[in-house]
Amino acid sequence: MLLLISEIKAIIAHRELLWQMTSREIKARYKQSILGYFWVILSPLAQMLVMSFAFSLILRIPTNSASNIPYSIFLFTALLPWTLFSNSLGSACNSLVGSSSLITKIYFPRTILVISTIIAKIIDFFFATSILIVYLIIYQIPITLNILWVIPIFFIQQIFTLGLSLFFAAANLLYRDIQYLLGLILTLWMYLTPIIYPADIVPDRFRILFQLNPIAVIVNAYRQVILGGGEPKYSSLLIALLLSFATLLVGLAYFKSREKIFADNI
Amino acid sequence: MNEPIIKFSHVTKDFDLQSQKTFKEFIPALIRGEQTRQKFTALNDINFTIDRGETIGIIGPNGSGKSTILKLIAGVMSPTKGKVTVSGKVSPLIELGAGMHPELTGRENIFLNGAILGLKRKQIEQYFKSIVDFSELQEFIDQPIKHYSSGMYMRLAFSIAVHVDPEILIVDEILAVGDTEFQAKCFTKMEEFKKSGVTILFVSHSMPQVELFCPRAIYLKHSNLINFGPSKEICQQYLNDHP
Repeated sequence: MLLLISEIKAIIAHRELLWQMTSREIKARYKQSILGYFWVILSPLAQMLVMSFAFSLILRIPTNSASNIPYSIFLFTALLPWTLFSNSLGSACNSLVGSSSLITKIYFPRTILVISTIIAKIIDFFFATSILIVYLIIYQIPITLNILWVIPIFFIQQIFTLGLSLFFAAANLLYRDIQYLLGLILTLWMYLTPIIYPADIVPDRFRILFQLNPIAVIVNAYRQVILGGGEPKYSSLLIALLLSFATLLVGLAYFKSREKIFADNI
Repeated sequence: MNEPIIKFSHVTKDFDLQSQKTFKEFIPALIRGEQTRQKFTALNDINFTIDRGETIGIIGPNGSGKSTILKLIAGVMSPTKGKVTVSGKVSPLIELGAGMHPELTGRENIFLNGAILGLKRKQIEQYFKSIVDFSELQEFIDQPIKHYSSGMYMRLAFSIAVHVDPEILIVDEILAVGDTEFQAKCFTKMEEFKKSGVTILFVSHSMPQVELFCPRAIYLKHSNLINFGPSKEICQQYLNDHP
């Protein structure tokens, strides 16, 4: 806990650097591409269309039983935050290794490298969300005030993402096997999370798995508050919050304990 | 003036090197109980003190531990044994332009690098013109720096680094690049720093440069500190060892 507070202070003191690193991340990415930043909208849209085709027209996976929400919206509501999660983890995992020249030369809080890549992904996410909003309007999905719940849900997601990212970034610096392992984990994780299918078709005895998977809780909560217009399940959300926070503390502790030897091992 | 700014007491730095490079070699070695890691000592029981405002040359053959000393001073590495005390803001010029991004323009890189070196946005804006003027890259400042020549690249990096207001300036063999005119300019700038009381660590293989620029020098060889004293003597000793 003390570690977290002192790290936050260090980051605030270096906020200029955090800001510059984030804008470097965003500016440099789509340089020398014709469509440029439009890719952040194009690729999730294409992914969503292909997956909708495969899972709703061919496999005929149902959406929530009670409502008649089109599958594409149902999928997209979960796919967007999942893509944010997996992209954040993937790029954060390589963020330290990719900045080896900086790490061996200049001292600054290393967490900034991880956080700036995550912020860049969050900005991508906001752009990609515009498609979802257009979709919600076209299909006239009724929106209630409960939609404001997306803000705390989003925060829980980011706490969880940051905790895991810190762990994977530091581990990958020491053992490059981690990045390949992470790719595998993310693929399996996606299928164990109710993204392409609704949570309520899962047999009861497996429910506990979803309770303990913060991403499943988060994805479900997004669907409930955006598409269902209801309130999220508070108990699940609280468990997810506690688990996420614990993940952050453990991730940060691991990161800080390895930080001293980053420059020796990169 | 005689206040120590950098102090090394009994500093030893070891590196663990993995002896087996591939998994195929690693597993049998592990099973046979062979050593999988090899220790390499980069610095061995180093002691010295540098006072505020001194200009110190660091000389020694390749692999003698010069860069490791600089990294310990910059705070990016921690010693295995002993203690490194640094009381001042370090501006590293080790391999210039570490934080440069090739796809970004010169202008964007000034802001990025300035932030990496610890400048506030306001300060960078304030120094911007002077950085560009010093680098003489006005025409190219809005070009991505991947199109820069290595000399231009170094000029930009040096110009940013000297505007940081360092207390400790680390200069690592950078003056090998760049044309004579710019080199002269760099030396003038460093003379200015010297006068204003900045502590400078100057790594070079050019003995005349070290003798001219630094009153005292450190001689490293095989991870050990061989001698620390007036640069004239030290350089002579180095030249005797390496005819």
